[in-house]
Order: sequence, then C-alpha cells, then structure tokens
Amino acid sequence: MSSPLTRDWVGIQQFPAATQNKLLEILGKLKEEVHNVSTMTILVMGKGGVGKSSTVNSILGERAVTVSTFQSEGLRPMMCSRSRAGFTLNIIDTPGLVEGGYVNDQALEIIKRFLLNKTIDVLLYVDRLDVYRMDALDRLVIKAITDTFGKAIWRRSLVVLTHAQLSPPDGLNYDDFFAKRSEALRKCIRLGARIKKQEFQESNIPVVLVENSGRCRTNDSAEKILPDGTPWIPNLVREITLIISNGSMPIVVDQKLIEGPNPNNRGKLFIPLILAFQYFFVIRRIQRAIKDDIAKESKPLWELRDLGLADRKF
Amino acid sequence: MALYAPAQLLSAPIGGAASLSGRRRRRHSAQTRGPKPYPSPTVNARNHETLISFSSVPSSVSAQAGDSKPDPSPPSLETRRAKPRNRKTLISAAAAATAAATGAFFLNLGSPPPPPPPPGGGGGGGGGGGGEGFWSRIFSPLMANARDEEGGSAEWDSHGLPANIVVQLNKLSGLKRYKISEILFFDRRRGSLVAGTEDSFFEMVSLRPNGVYTKAQLQKELETLASCGMFEKVDLEGKTKPDGTLALTVSFTESTWQSADAFRCINVGLMQQTKQMDLDPDMTDREKLEYFRSQERDYRRRIERSRPCLLPVPVQREVMQMLREQGKVSARLLQRIRDRVQKWYHDEGYACAQVVNFGNLNTREVVCEVVEGDITQLVIQFQDKLGNVVEGNTQLPVIRRELPKQLRPGHVFNIEAGKQALRNINSLALFSNIEVNPRPDEKSEGGIIVEIKLKELEQKSAEVSTEWSIVPGRNGRPTLASIQPGGTVSFEHRNIKGLNRSILGSVTSSNLLNPQDDLSFKLDYVHPYLDGVYNPRNRTFRASCFNSRKLSPVFTGGPGVDEVPPVWIDRVGFKTNITESFTRQSKFTYGLVMEEIITRDETSSICTHGSRALPSGGLSMDGPPTTLSGTGTDRMAFAQANITRDNTKFVNGTVVGERDVFQLDQGLGIGSNFPFFNRHQLTLTRFIQLKKVEEGANKPPPPVLVLHGHYGGCVGDLPSYDAFTLGGPYSVRGYNMGELGACRNILELAGELRIPVRNTHVYLFAEHGTDLGSSKDVKGNPTEFFRRAGQGSSYGVGAKLGLVRAEYAVDHNSGTGAVFFRFGERF
Repeated sequence: MSSPLTRDWVGIQQFPAATQNKLLEILGKLKEEVHNVSTMTILVMGKGGVGKSSTVNSILGERAVTVSTFQSEGLRPMMCSRSRAGFTLNIIDTPGLVEGGYVNDQALEIIKRFLLNKTIDVLLYVDRLDVYRMDALDRLVIKAITDTFGKAIWRRSLVVLTHAQLSPPDGLNYDDFFAKRSEALRKCIRLGARIKKQEFQESNIPVVLVENSGRCRTNDSAEKILPDGTPWIPNLVREITLIISNGSMPIVVDQKLIEGPNPNNRGKLFIPLILAFQYFFVIRRIQRAIKDDIAKESKPLWELRDLGLADRKF
Repeated sequence: MALYAPAQLLSAPIGGAASLSGRRRRRHSAQTRGPKPYPSPTVNARNHETLISFSSVPSSVSAQAGDSKPDPSPPSLETRRAKPRNRKTLISAAAAATAAATGAFFLNLGSPPPPPPPPGGGGGGGGGGGGEGFWSRIFSPLMANARDEEGGSAEWDSHGLPANIVVQLNKLSGLKRYKISEILFFDRRRGSLVAGTEDSFFEMVSLRPNGVYTKAQLQKELETLASCGMFEKVDLEGKTKPDGTLALTVSFTESTWQSADAFRCINVGLMQQTKQMDLDPDMTDREKLEYFRSQERDYRRRIERSRPCLLPVPVQREVMQMLREQGKVSARLLQRIRDRVQKWYHDEGYACAQVVNFGNLNTREVVCEVVEGDITQLVIQFQDKLGNVVEGNTQLPVIRRELPKQLRPGHVFNIEAGKQALRNINSLALFSNIEVNPRPDEKSEGGIIVEIKLKELEQKSAEVSTEWSIVPGRNGRPTLASIQPGGTVSFEHRNIKGLNRSILGSVTSSNLLNPQDDLSFKLDYVHPYLDGVYNPRNRTFRASCFNSRKLSPVFTGGPGVDEVPPVWIDRVGFKTNITESFTRQSKFTYGLVMEEIITRDETSSICTHGSRALPSGGLSMDGPPTTLSGTGTDRMAFAQANITRDNTKFVNGTVVGERDVFQLDQGLGIGSNFPFFNRHQLTLTRFIQLKKVEEGANKPPPPVLVLHGHYGGCVGDLPSYDAFTLGGPYSVRGYNMGELGACRNILELAGELRIPVRNTHVYLFAEHGTDLGSSKDVKGNPTEFFRRAGQGSSYGVGAKLGLVRAEYAVDHNSGTGAVFFRFGERF
C-alpha cells in the first residue's frame, strides 16, 4: 500500500536550481489561475516496462517507487504524495496493464479498487518512443482504460513517450520520427477509445517526451534536456498544468464509475408495465391464435359427416 | 399396453371354437376363392367374415332352407323375422314357394347385424339377430363346408358307375363320400358355361374342386343356392369320371327384375323389420291383391320413415350408372351394387355398415337398405388379469371424457372414432390393455353396442434400477475411472380415488459409491380435472419438489481459452403450477416456483465468482459473480408462465405447422437481495410445407422449410445462472454450449431446409445468434471475461439417421467445420 502520509517534497531540492525555479513558477501560476487548487493527482498508466515508475521517480526527484528493470512489478499501485508550500502532488504509479499478451483484467480491477473515492486530475499514458509499431494490444489497453474511466479521461490525459534520447532509424530525422510516432499513438487512442474523429481533433492529446536515463544530457544549468534542447521536467509539468486548466472536469472515481451503471437496476420500474404488455399483447394473442387453430382444425371426413356438415358431398 | 393396430381394435370377437372355424374358413377362402369381394383392409374383411359366420349358423340354414313352408315355424329369432320376398326367386327347385305370385317387393339380402358376437357367444349367437336373408346364405355354405372339413378326412369313395354318364343329385348314394374333381357353372339363359373365377357366383358356392362331400351335403348346398334369391332355378348334376370322381355342374337361371334407372339408399338401422303377415293359401285373389297392396303401402311408409344415409352423391351416381348400363336388374348386378356400397362404407371406416336389403324391385327405383351401425349403447367394462369383468377403480367419467362424441349412442359407429378413443384412453396411462369392440345390440335391430374393455394397471408400484454410467472426463473423453454405478429408486401411486391423480417419487444417484455427491430426488403430485371431471375445461394441477445439478454454460470459455473451471448450479425447490390444455399440444401453464440455488465449483464447495486460469498457471478468482447475492447461495420465489401454441401435425411422417412458445419468469421481490425481474422468451417456429403431397402410408414426405426465431430478454435482477447462453445444439449449432456468450438479451435466427430422401431426410441449415450487445449488462460480463465473441453464425448440412442427426456444421467465427452427432430434433 502506498503511504497515506503526505511527506514534504524534498526531492525537488535535488533538481538543478533552474528547474526548481521553473517548477515553482509553473505551480504558482496554476494556483493563481485555477482557484483553490491545492492538490494535484496524477495517474500514470501504461503497458509493462515502458518506464512508468522511472518517470514517477524522475518527476519527484527521488526513488519513491522501486523500479524493477527485468521483471514485472508487483500488482499493487503506489501513490506518492508530496507537498510543498501548501501544494500537494499525488502521483499514482500503477502496474503494467499487459500480462501474457492480454490486458490484465485483474490488475485493472485492483487499480480500480485502489482509485476508489479519489479524483484524478491528469492521466499520464506512458509508452516508449523507440517502439516503431502499434498493434491491437495497444488498442486493447486503451480500450480497457476507456472502459474503466470513461471517454472523458482522454480530455485529462497526456501521452508520455519515454526513452526520448534515441537515434531514430536510418534516414529519418528525429522530429519526423517523433511526429509520426505521436500521430500513430494518437490514432491508436482514438480507435481504442472509440472517440469520433472530429471530437478527438478538438481536444488534441498532447505528447510529451521524457528521458529518465541517468545518461540524459544536461544543459548548462544542469537541467536534463531532450535532444532538441528543452529541459523536459519543467516541460512535462507545464503540460500537466495546461491540461488541468483546459476546462475539463477531473475524473472522480466512485463506485458507480468502477462498476458501471448497475444493469440489474435498469428498467426495473417498468417491469409492471412490461408485464401488462406481455399479458395483453403476447399471451392473449397466442390464446386467440390457439382458438383460431381449434376452429380451423381440419376434421376428418367421418367427423364432418357425423356433424351433418358433409352434405353428402363425400 | 394397448395396440393401435386396427386388428386389435376388433380383436375379441373370435374366441373358442368359433374362432377356430372362422380362421379356417378364412384360410380356405384365401386359397380357393377368387378375388376378395372388396379389397378392404383385413380388419374389415375379418370383421365382415366374422359377422357373417355369426348369422349363418348352419342350424339356421337348414331350418330355413329345409322347410319350404310359407310360414316357417319360428324356432329361432331369424325365422321370426322372415320377410315377404320376391316369389320369383323362390320358385327355384328345392326352395318351394307356394304362392307363385308376382307382386313381391323386395329381395332380402340378409341382415346379419354386422359386428361380431362377443367371445364365446359366437357359436350360439345365431339367434342373436342374424337375419336369415339370402345373402347370408350365400356365405353359409362356406361355414358348412368348413365344419365338414373339420371332421372330414381325405378319404373318399369311388362313384362306382360307368364313366361319363350324367347322374342326378337324388340318384347318388347317400352312403358314399364323393370326391368332386371339377365344378362347372352353366347359365341356362345364356346357354353357356360361365367362364372365369371372378364371377360372383363362385363365392356363393361353398363346394370346392377336389373336396369330398356326401349326398346330404350336396343336397344342402343345392337348397342353400336355391333359397338365396340369386336364382330363379338352380340344379346340380354330377358327371362320372373314369377315375371315380365326379364333375359337378351347377346349372342355373339367374333371377332378374325389370330395369330401373333410379337408385336410393336408405338407412334402416334401428327400424323394426316389417313383420310378415302370413299369406294364407286359401286366400282369394281379391284378398291376395289386398295383401300385396298393403305390403306395398307398408314399404312406402318404411322408406319415408327411414333416415337419410351417409352414402355420398358421387357414389350414388356411380351406382345409378351401373343400373342404367345394365338394363335389366339382375341378381348379379345387385350383388355388385351391394359390394360397391359396402366397399365405400368400409373404406370410410364404417365397419359395421351392411347392405341388408334391396327393396322396390320390379319398379323404376331400386331401394338399397343399409344398416349403418347406429350406436345404441356405450358400455365400459373393467377386467382383471384373467379377463373377468370386475368393478374398476377408475371412475367412469374419467374415461367418458376421453371418448369422442361419435362413440356416444345416436351416432354411427366409425372405426376411426374407435381408434381415437383407443388413443385417448391410452394417453391416460392407466390401463395395460384397452379394447374397443362394436357388438350387435340384440334388443335393437341393426344397433351397435360399443364395448370398451379395460385392464387397469397396478395402482401402486415401486421400482429399483441400477446402471453403469460413463461420464465424460476432462477432455470430453470417458476414462476408466469415470465409469460409475448408478441407480434409481422410484415409487408411484397412480389413479388415486379413480380420478387419475398420482404421486410419483424417485431418488437417483449416478454414483452409488458416493451418493451424497449427486443425489437427485423428485416428488410429484398430479391432480387432473381441477374444474371437475364433468367440466370440459381441462386443467391439471401439479406440485413437485425437485432438485437438479447442472453445469452452467455461462462459465464456459470462448475459442482458444483454456479449460474454464466448471461451475455447477444446484437447485432445490418446490414448484406448483396449473396447466390448462386447449388441444393435445397447445397449453397454458402458470404457477409459482420457490427455489434455492447454490453454485459450486469442481470440488463441490460453494463458489461465489467464476474463475479463469491465468497464463501464469494460477487461477484468477475475480470472475463474474455466480449468484445475485454474491454469497454463492440464492433463494428466491417467482411466478412462471408458459403458453404454447402448437398446431403441428405429421404429414407422411414430417412435421408441418406452427409452434409458438412464450415463457415468462416474473420475480416477485422475494428472496436474497429481493430479486425483481421479468425474464421472457418468445420462440416462433414455422414448418412450411413446400410441396403438396398425397397423404397416406408409405407416401413420400414433402420437403419442408423450417424457420425459427428465438428472442429472450430480462429486465431487472439477472443472476448469471439465469443469463441466456449462446451456442450449442439447441441455440447455434456448430458451437459448444455457451461458447458464444452469456447475455441479457438474446436473438437467435435459424433456417433449415429438409429434403426427403428415401424414408428419411437430409437438411441444410444456417443459424445466427447474437447477444444484441447485452453481454455487458450481465454482472461481471461473463462473455468478455471468458473471451467469447458474443455472436456467431454457422451453416452446414446434415442427415437424419433414425433418431440420430449427423451433421457437418461450419462455425463462421473461426471458419472451421466439424461433424456432430446429436439425438433428437433441433426444433
């Protein structure tokens, strides 16, 4: 279980001064723009081994969650809460959603139960930049997330591509590769979440690059930078705040959202009406048809003769 | 148990000696006689012959023919009913007709009351009611002959005369037994021998070539022939042959009457036979004239009083045609007419109908008098195992209400009505033997008493049976360890209070080594005639305790999913319902069900959720909940109704018609979690005959198109065990049970084309089933949890091999086909 305690965000001091300043500035601005925002909950989801936990650690600036490099992590989500100057940052790290070629329903179930009665401000959907292809499994993962939290979650989400510091395949320039990769991912999200094309374009999901590796290049002020020179941590946090302030509602996870509407309760009130309909329009009708059958039943000749209906015709 | 064979229906009559002679006679006739008078089924033939034997007891023959007095003293019933007859016919040789008057009216064809006598009564039944008419005489020689044969041996005496001389009958020695090697018929009017054996005369002569006869027998034969009304004059002559045998020549002059061009058929059943007023030989001419006039008047009145007969106009027209073509009405023509009319009656099932008389001869209109077999009485009799009449336990109204009203007094007996009565009574399942016999009514002329004889089954019975069963193992293959001894103990108390109420209980275990594992019991109480046994409304009350254990098809994996741990649904409960039957197949049932449902896993421990094997080898236990309460045990009470409309019938062995079934389970909010639901299913099936065919036995069945639709839905609480499952031999063929999904709403459509081949049929089919997107509305979405498609189609071909269907079905989801063998019908 994640620690329910909210600890002081000491990790922020690990960041270079420039980063610290930027972060504080961004968060301060967020606090100004959106009233009474004092907490921010970030849910990190994605397939296994794409760098979810590393990203969490990178943002927090400490080894808050264990990164298990070669094995699948435990099935428990972790929530790390850090506060700084009256502002609380909650980051929920989740286990990988894929197990043995299928979406791991069990993991999803546990995540759901873990998130009960929590509000999600932002979803970080994590994937690797250096994966060239999208397949049906990605779509299933997206679908599973959509089914759990509803389509609205994608208005509060951010796609994070890790391993940003890569050399793209031959003959492709880094920016082109990034553009193509993010486009493919967006399309996958659109299909997986079954969002209409137009609707989707309106709320274009931002894609952010991340490099968690310790070998990440740094700039003059020792900030970790992406290949294009942007310091990625402040960039990520800025994107997050942008999403928070984009006008959509945060996702409140309650019983109803987890279980969906109880189909057993739907239409229950109409049962008496349905019953009446069935009696008058189905049972009665069949009864009438039976009566017709009896009337129309072709009687053998001897019976007709006996009834005097044959009229000596046969 | 009762047999439906028509022969059975009319079985009893031949018993004891009567039966012996009857049988022998039949054999005899089969060998020597030409074609049968009418090609009717054996029942009729048998019935016919039996009834003839009835009326043609030899004693009556001799009595009749022997005294040529105009007023035969009445030693038996027959004589009392002697009628005025055409004197012309009586002029013939031996049968002396004193008054050679010409004013006779009709030819009595004998009025044997058609149905056979009761067993044992056959021999003496001659007095029963047999008219002594000529026609009966026609057959009587056969009887005599048969009797002779019984005692006779093959030995014979040579005539002892020179060869090739003609001997008059009275010149023969009374002590010798002559062998007749040849019988010839000589028509004096035509002056020629009658050729061909089809001639109706042959059946009248009981003598057979190569038979051995005494002089007395030959004389009797001659008397019989003379008195039968067919001949004006008839004579027998023997011609000696070198080998000591005799060649017999029957020379005759046929009776004829003036030509007629109209035909009328009247029903004289239950009418008093006209009494013959004695014709005093001392009457003056005037008196005689008066006498004949009064007879004529009587007869006209008789025609007026008679009821119309059933004979249809086309047949009457046919007969009229026969009359017109013939010109003069001859005895042979009348015989043909009689055969034609009787054939129609017998073909239509009026087994007791008989032509008794032709009247109004020598006028323009021939009147055919028919006794159709009017039922005067209906007798229901119970017999014990030895056939003694006993007082039955069953109340009579129970049986009466099963009888078609055509068997009630006042209706004409029809064998089909008898068969139906037999079927209906048999369906009561109360009797081990059922007989429906028509019997002549001795008190009423031409009347029939329908006698229903029943042997009751034992009221109480208990039974123990054991069996070995082979249970399919893990992969659907039986293993050695899966062979289990099983057994059933059952008891039954039938027909309580004689009102067909019954209590039936049984306990079954398929594994006697471990009976607690699956012990199924059943206790049923059935109470028919809820509205009273006299009320035509047919409602039956049923109450039963039951338990059952079934594998839930909801917890089944889709294609490519490893074995899903099975979930067993145990139900224990109490059920009461009332069934109202409208027809044999259409009915309306409504009632209450109270039951407890427990879901168990493989180890028989209660399970609350379905489970699925994880790729890692573990079991994921978080599947869909198995019960509504979530505890693995549900209790609930609900109302149930089912209305079935079924007008299907068999056309040459193939089902044709429509069948609609609506089933409704209405939760009442009583039970765990207060279940309130409305679960409904509507099934419509149409069997459409694609070609008109002639109906009848051994005719090919028509091709049939079967269309089938099934909609099911549930509003409200739906536990997984009540979810509709898709796939399986009765849902979508080509898939396993539940392989396509478990859902809240279901729609299945199927079509099947049946083409008859020889005496079975082959069929093509296509089926589709869909969950209508309602799988997600089942708690826990078992369809998705077990990775099922939620819909699917299949198509294929199959052949019916007896009870087994062999079919090749292609599963459209995966595109692969497989061969299946199934019992029973899909629809």
